[in-house]
Amino acid sequence: MSKIEFAGVRKVFQGDTPNPVVAIDNIDLTVRQDEFVSIVGPSGCGKSTLLYLLGGFLDLSGGEIRVDGRAVTEPGPDRGIVFQHFALFPWKTVLGNVEYGLAEQGMGKAERREIAQGYIDMVKLGGFEDTFPNRLSGGMQQRVALARTLACDPDILLMDEPFGALDAQTRHILQEELLEIWSRRKKTVLFVTHDVREAVILAERCVVVTARPGRVKTEIDTSSGKADGAAIEKKAEEIWDVLREELVRT
Amino acid sequence: MSAPAKEGRVPRWLVRYASPVAVLAAWELSVRLGLVDPFLLPALSSVLLRAAEEIATGDVLFHAWLTIYRAMAGFLAATALGVTIGVLTARNRYCRWFFEPLVSVGFPMPKIAFMAIFILWFGIGDASKIVMVTLTCIFPIISATYLGCSQVDRYLVWSARNMGTSERRVLWKVVLPASLPQILNGLQIAFPSALIVTVVTEMISSGGGLGGYMILAARFALSEKVFVGVVVIAVVGYALLTVFGHVRRHILAWHAESQMAI
Ligand SMILES: Nc1ncnc2c1ncn2[C@@H]1O[C@H](COP(=O)(O)OP(=O)(O)OP(=O)(O)O)[C@@H](O)[C@H]1O
Ligand SMILES: [Mg+2]
Repeated sequence: MSKIEFAGVRKVFQGDTPNPVVAIDNIDLTVRQDEFVSIVGPSGCGKSTLLYLLGGFLDLSGGEIRVDGRAVTEPGPDRGIVFQHFALFPWKTVLGNVEYGLAEQGMGKAERREIAQGYIDMVKLGGFEDTFPNRLSGGMQQRVALARTLACDPDILLMDEPFGALDAQTRHILQEELLEIWSRRKKTVLFVTHDVREAVILAERCVVVTARPGRVKTEIDTSSGKADGAAIEKKAEEIWDVLREELVRT
Repeated sequence: MSAPAKEGRVPRWLVRYASPVAVLAAWELSVRLGLVDPFLLPALSSVLLRAAEEIATGDVLFHAWLTIYRAMAGFLAATALGVTIGVLTARNRYCRWFFEPLVSVGFPMPKIAFMAIFILWFGIGDASKIVMVTLTCIFPIISATYLGCSQVDRYLVWSARNMGTSERRVLWKVVLPASLPQILNGLQIAFPSALIVTVVTEMISSGGGLGGYMILAARFALSEKVFVGVVVIAVVGYALLTVFGHVRRHILAWHAESQMAI
């Protein structure tokens, strides 16, 4: 059954410039329940915009987005998002940030503290519970953002280059954690990345978006051969070949 | 927080207090050496002696308390009203249409011009003075709040909405905390004028307070007493601002800029 449907989705930014920017034009995409889909595309092609539309933060200029058959009209905790630029609350500590969503859902103090601590430990930030975000490095902030969204345990995870600021080892550990959470809790994941290997390793399907205005260029099945290094490289190469055509156009 | 003075560098406390101490010493010396008429400028030592007497009788303390009370009452009222109006102006189109022109006209206007009207309306007691202070302080507070609230990073609002915060609660959960640094800046700018205006209104209309105390002393040609008033105002102003700075730094522990000295 389809969990998320984009039907003829279009987004035009009017902005201050005389010429409106067509960020996304006519995107059609269907995501199954519990599917892990990666999205790759040139910079500025509208990947973040696509997630913001599904998150309900921006109004559509055309088309429709449905979740569980219902049109998206406003933001909601069923679609948890990890923002590309973290968007942590600077006035809250690491713990305060990670607890925020749970507190908003009315969970008691002891319970949410315990859950938050679990995710803080998962992203290896034990000891930084009482630190404010402006005292953390970019990679640490990104991990807080990840923990904060995961703690809310949303049905759908929207991740906008969530490992972009991390070093190779941390990235690897968190990729495994994410796969573990995904397989255990069964979530539908939309994962934007610049890294085609990451797309192959994590996702079951990779959506390649064209240069702006963004459209779906191709969808590539990446569900098999995860344990096989050579197969991964081959798939990555395949995605890269498609992507290259678009990178040249920008 | 005083870092140990490095060799060859001037200690911090010296840098900090050297100029006021020099001015005070010059004051004392110029009177002692007979360079100025002690009636026009009594020696610092005799002013301090006089201040000690006045404090012992409780007279000057009573007036200082009146001044602090009026300044704080007016300032707090301005804070409550100013923050409310600033938030409304930033969040509501109709409020913006209503308040924006008023603020642009009112901000640069010399508000003390209203004092005569306020005396007419509220009498010569506390009320007219407090209203005068409120009117003076409210403009920088409104404009700082408006600025802060209209510049909130939209991703912070989206984050909160994404984690289940309703549209209405966003004001309390995101907009106000995010604009707190600007709001506190506005308060800090407004704060000294609360004291200034209180003293001026006390000079204009009777009812005691440090302003009245000094004007009365001047009328009776008690020059030392006039200077006692000045010294007490300086001390009160410095103390209040210091407390304010501490409160601000405490509230803004998370904020990078507030770590700078103010
Ligand atoms: N608020 C806005 N006003 C005007 N134009 C915008 C706005 N937000 C995005 N755009 C434009 O829409 C296009 C898509 O932006 P978006 O952030 O979705 O790209 P992206 O694919 O996420 O890029 P990147 O990989 O660099 O993060 C860009 O050309 C950008 O200039
Ligand atoms: Mg982006």
